[in-house]
Amino acid sequence: MQKSNLNLKVLWLLVVILVLLILFPAFLPRFYTYILAVIFVTALLAMSLNMVVGHGGLFQFHHGVFYGVGAYAFALMLTKTGLPMWLCFILSPLVAAAVGFLIGWFCVRLTSLYFGMLQISLGSLIWAIAFRWYDLTHGDDGIHGVPIPDWASSTSGAYYFILFFLVLCLIAMYIIHRSPFGMTLQAIRDNPARCSAVGINVRRHQIMAIVIATFFAGVAGVLFVVLEKSVFPDLLFWVLSLEIFIMCLLGGWFTFAGPIVGAAITVALRTFVGIYTEYWTLILGVLLILLIFFLPEGAMGFFVQKFEKSRDKEAALAREQHAES
Amino acid sequence: MVSDLGALGSQFFVGLSRAMILFVVCSGLSFVLGVLRVPNIAHGSLYMIGAFSAYSITKLVAGPAGFWLALILAPLVVALVSLVAERALFCHLYQREHLMLLLFTFALSLILGDLVKIVWGAEYKSIMAPDVFNGSVSLLGASIPRYNFFLLVVGPLVAVALWLFTNKTKMGKIARAAAVDREMVGAVGINVSWVFAFAFVLGCFLAGLGGALVAPTVSITLGMDHNLIIEAFLIVTIGGLGNMWGAMVGSLIFGLTQAFGVLFWPQFAIVFPYMAVVIVLIWRPRGMLKSVW
Amino acid sequence: MSKSRFSRTVLFGLVVTLSLMLLPALSEARDIKVGIIDCYSGPAAVYGNDALNGFKLALEEINKKGVLGGKIVFTTRDTKFKVDIGLNMAKELVMRENVDVLVGTINSGVALAVSDAVSKQEKIPFIVWISKDEKITGADGHRYVFSTADNTAQGGKAGGVGLAKKPYKKYWIAGDDYSYGHAIADSAWRNLKALKPDVEKVGESWWKIGEPDLVPYFTSIMAAKPDAVILCTGGASMTNAMKALKSTGMAAKIPSWIHTAIDHAVLKPLGAEAPEGVLGTIQYLFYYPETPENKAFVQAFEKAYGNPPGFPAFNAYLTAHYIADGFRKAGKIDKEKFVDALEGLKVKNPVGGTVEMRACDHQAVFPMYFGVTKKLPNYDFVVASDITTLKGLDVLPTCEEIKQSRKK
Repeated sequence: MQKSNLNLKVLWLLVVILVLLILFPAFLPRFYTYILAVIFVTALLAMSLNMVVGHGGLFQFHHGVFYGVGAYAFALMLTKTGLPMWLCFILSPLVAAAVGFLIGWFCVRLTSLYFGMLQISLGSLIWAIAFRWYDLTHGDDGIHGVPIPDWASSTSGAYYFILFFLVLCLIAMYIIHRSPFGMTLQAIRDNPARCSAVGINVRRHQIMAIVIATFFAGVAGVLFVVLEKSVFPDLLFWVLSLEIFIMCLLGGWFTFAGPIVGAAITVALRTFVGIYTEYWTLILGVLLILLIFFLPEGAMGFFVQKFEKSRDKEAALAREQHAES
Repeated sequence: MVSDLGALGSQFFVGLSRAMILFVVCSGLSFVLGVLRVPNIAHGSLYMIGAFSAYSITKLVAGPAGFWLALILAPLVVALVSLVAERALFCHLYQREHLMLLLFTFALSLILGDLVKIVWGAEYKSIMAPDVFNGSVSLLGASIPRYNFFLLVVGPLVAVALWLFTNKTKMGKIARAAAVDREMVGAVGINVSWVFAFAFVLGCFLAGLGGALVAPTVSITLGMDHNLIIEAFLIVTIGGLGNMWGAMVGSLIFGLTQAFGVLFWPQFAIVFPYMAVVIVLIWRPRGMLKSVW
Repeated sequence: MSKSRFSRTVLFGLVVTLSLMLLPALSEARDIKVGIIDCYSGPAAVYGNDALNGFKLALEEINKKGVLGGKIVFTTRDTKFKVDIGLNMAKELVMRENVDVLVGTINSGVALAVSDAVSKQEKIPFIVWISKDEKITGADGHRYVFSTADNTAQGGKAGGVGLAKKPYKKYWIAGDDYSYGHAIADSAWRNLKALKPDVEKVGESWWKIGEPDLVPYFTSIMAAKPDAVILCTGGASMTNAMKALKSTGMAAKIPSWIHTAIDHAVLKPLGAEAPEGVLGTIQYLFYYPETPENKAFVQAFEKAYGNPPGFPAFNAYLTAHYIADGFRKAGKIDKEKFVDALEGLKVKNPVGGTVEMRACDHQAVFPMYFGVTKKLPNYDFVVASDITTLKGLDVLPTCEEIKQSRKK
């Protein structure tokens, strides 16, 4: 009884947030609408990473590659082929997932840091190809002016388009997270030896998780192109991957929505502090250290802890009342 | 024919000397990784501080004396910086989740990067090795710049010194033991926190030494930390986590791949390090040598 | 209507009318806002700072008289050499700060992205001041983007013209492995080959930008024994190249040409140890030509910032004057009128004479200097000597070529 009351509260909170997000473009200045859209794309990317890092326990150090592949696939299809946008939209994350499968297949043979390092190397080879194959990708000049239809191209049009798919993907991710597959994945994260002893094919589950996560990363890449109408090799570079990894840690990697908070904080900080000083990386570093010391469970984890504390309190109260009656 | 062999020889020795600098830096990273089980993302920043400190010291003390003094003092400066960071902040995190330690080193790298800009500014800096290093040296028919020859001597010296230290001194042995089993070390009454502090500072000292050694050969500039850090991590991984000789093997692979790759396939030099790692990890998934964990 | 209500209505009407009358006057006399996106971190920061200093120096003079009754004010944003941050910052400047003109940057990827996604989309003038990609005013140019920087077409042609006068036949091409390096190489080679058809390319080497260890590359080039080397590098990478040229002894054995080899930001830290005999091209030198205007410019710059100006300062100085003169010619703070006013506009060149903003491609036209590094007794760093001047229009692509490239 208590549990469903609190779940209802969370649901109401989500609905309120969603309504606010839908109403924002009407009264916020254009720039804030744009920055929110940037946060949405980054949040989706960070969430997709967390599927394998937080829930899967894999050292996915070069997740950005799949984001970049999705973005480049979409941009290249739109500029070089005559395919309609909705088709490119569906194909691009599939391309990203295919690359994810290929790289994942090689990497799951290795454990911990080795997994991550092999992924960085394989991913960097893809970066090098995009960087050097000038005729196809324009190298570090990038591809600009990708033709996005007008209704998705304006600031609020892009915002709604991205918000729609963000919500869709988050719901999908949540369902996967709570499904038997998701539960198995978390079990594998906590104790792979025991899982394989019970007969679970650890590797197959990990590859499946990677494929799903890279699919969503590809979606994030497509949404990036819709927003900025550009692609460039930075999207495939390991620095970006490290940044999303940090966003997951910042927000709390073992909560479901932590990475969203991490992404929001990082983007907001670099944009709004960047207005006042070029030393915003210093401030980000200091903020991270403060967070490590005072909010060890990550920003989201802090709220989850509070939430759980209040839930336990209410449960205890309920038990008391029950005992008294 | 002779000139071809000479060219090959030059490339070989030049690649070897590059490997020596990589080794000095990576041995420090490997040591920290072995004992603390955490990849130190700030390692590149400390290397950068080593190079900048070497610059400042040579500006204060003119002539060759400045250079030699820099080689000794710059790593000490870096060691001091790392000691401060460690005792003030890092040591309180040892009980935490590993990923939190990683996050800390990342935050530290951001802070140190901007601090370098604040202290030294954005202009390119350059120092020259003392005149004794001008010109080339002939080695087995190949000619290499004198400074590179110097590096060929320094590298193995550092390796031997490190080996002696970790195998023959008490502190070193304790550190090695803590890398393998920290609970045991704590159980026999040794303060594990101090062991970690020591390992971290030593690792950073080596990063600073690498920075000081490399300083006469490159432009000392902001962004040096990013250039190095990914190579350093790849080397440490293919060598075997926490294994000092592994760091040597990894550095040799990188240095020689680069040198010979440049001779035969110079248009695609950007992929060499990554190709090397892919080949090694597919052939030996746990690195070339045994890892400590 | 009651008396008080009537009077309130009249008063309200009066206030509104007066405000409406005063508003245009107020808006006419407002400051012109310039938004600068540039890189103030990492190895490119030295150029971003130089440009900003040149801009600020020019503004000091300009703001004494003012423009259209107000001053020119600016705000800067650090792109950290990343394209996505550059885009965010540019959009913030346009949508939130409401700048009148966008200016910047050094990263060609950022320049191209901002040119398309922000400048063309939002119809806001964007003056590029350090990025050298020829596509900025070439194939990807449009009504709202301008450049006061030299570009790779220009630099390569200047190199090609200079090298064609030399007796070298076998060339090795090497450089930083990114679009700038390749563009300079292509342009230089194309022009050299056109002027001197018997030149031959014996090999190519490309290293990652910022590669600290260029010794193995140079030793292998020396083994191939070319007559000369076209080195396509810049910035911190060039300092590394200079050091390696000296330490491997290649500087003494094989001549090389580097666009911006005579860039003071690179030569200064090397002091007297920079290699001599390196050929280079650049559009600004603080010690040449020794005109009274250049001397005054350098003196003022040194007094304000403690070191002599480099080519970014030169470009930025021109930019400031284009903005001031452009708005003055337009007569009001209107972006479309400003763009029209800039085409064909001639502004004061800090070394003397004027620089014209070519109407067909929005590229500023200035001469290139071709020289060779030499140690001279009156400086404690290496400088360019034996300088020949190449006229701007001789090294830029023609308007016809630009039109052709934009059609594709």
